[in-house]
Amino acid sequence: MSIHEQFAEDLSLYALGALEGEERQVVERHLDECSACRHELEKLRGDLARLAFSASGPRPPARSRERLMAAIAKEPRRAQLPRARWAWWNVLGWAAAVTAILLAVLFKEQNSELRQQVKEFETSSAQQDQQLSEAKQLLTALTSPEAVHFTLVAGKAPPQPQGKAIYVRSSATLVFLASNLPPVPPQKAYELWLIPTTGEPIPAGLFKPDARGAAAVIRPPLPTGVEAKTFAITIEPEAGSSRPTSVPVMVGSGG
Amino acid sequence: MTGAASNVVSTDATLVSAIRSGDEQAMAQLYERYSAIVYSVALRVLGDTAAAEDILQEVFMQLWRTPGGFDSNRGSLPGWLAVIARNRAIDSLRKRRAETDITDVVVSIEPDLAGGAEWSRALEKIRSVLAGMPSLQRSALEMAFFQGLTHSEIAEKTGEPLGTIKTRIRTGILSLRKAFNP
Repeated sequence: MSIHEQFAEDLSLYALGALEGEERQVVERHLDECSACRHELEKLRGDLARLAFSASGPRPPARSRERLMAAIAKEPRRAQLPRARWAWWNVLGWAAAVTAILLAVLFKEQNSELRQQVKEFETSSAQQDQQLSEAKQLLTALTSPEAVHFTLVAGKAPPQPQGKAIYVRSSATLVFLASNLPPVPPQKAYELWLIPTTGEPIPAGLFKPDARGAAAVIRPPLPTGVEAKTFAITIEPEAGSSRPTSVPVMVGSGG
Repeated sequence: MTGAASNVVSTDATLVSAIRSGDEQAMAQLYERYSAIVYSVALRVLGDTAAAEDILQEVFMQLWRTPGGFDSNRGSLPGWLAVIARNRAIDSLRKRRAETDITDVVVSIEPDLAGGAEWSRALEKIRSVLAGMPSLQRSALEMAFFQGLTHSEIAEKTGEPLGTIKTRIRTGILSLRKAFNP
């Protein structure tokens, strides 16, 4: 992968936060479109992290730890999320509910026109809730441990490991489902990779198959706008790798 | 932080994941590992222990409140913390509001420098590269990074052409990279 040389020096300055005004906007517009330069920016930040490490030595006083832990203890308790991937879902649901309540309270004593607006909003909110509910049911069905997966094969061939990645480039949305996967060794996990048409593989989620060999990765964090040449799966350390360290066990192609 | 990370069982990714569900002990472990890095960087930028403590507090509170800002699949936690600490310290130095959304910052660094012995060797190498750099190049790079000066400000301060400063900064950064990826 090669970066665009005309941006090389400005990318370094951008990583330092030293670009302003039009120069900064030009680089940001280019970064929106160029995965190679985005990757280079990440590497430049890694280089600058090394420069930051050169300052290491002094340790903070003990009171800093006490101050931090005391501040954390005062923060509102965080609800235990059943699964991280549902976090966006909860936010949407709560946001809709809180907004509806606030509007209902605010408009309670207002004139009929405002009441009509509230009514329309509530209708709209109810429709959104319905849509969210249906989508949630769909995702739950795809990922539920109770779901029974059937793999259809020709003749009497035994079921083979299979993976299906559904990817929408413009919104960076990825849904990946796998079946008949063999278990991974201890302290290892499967890692899904988005292989762009240009540039290096992008990590797209870690997973371990269940007892039946089924697994799913739903909406992993991905940069937007990356054109996928294919997807691949490697076996990596449990914490994941930033680039593949083993030969892919499965590779696919767009379709 | 030397040696701290090598004695613990949990990976950074595991601890960050635990923070998402409000595990204060996980936060305490990450603080033990990386508070010295964050504090040192802030102290180098600000030159004031009280101000550096404030940045330390701010960075770890950010991690506590928005652990999703760090994506363990796409970078190293110490690298991310160091860069965030530097950016916040520069913002404080220049008395401006935080400019960068932390979720936008991905720090790619290979190999991961969290291990004890490996960390010491890496630190030695980084300092050796800096010591071997031409003094004007090192000076331009450190003014940009630790003082937050723009290339124009450095050019004005040193009386040298803007293009020369840009080249010095980029060459200096790439020297650090080359030492780890020959």
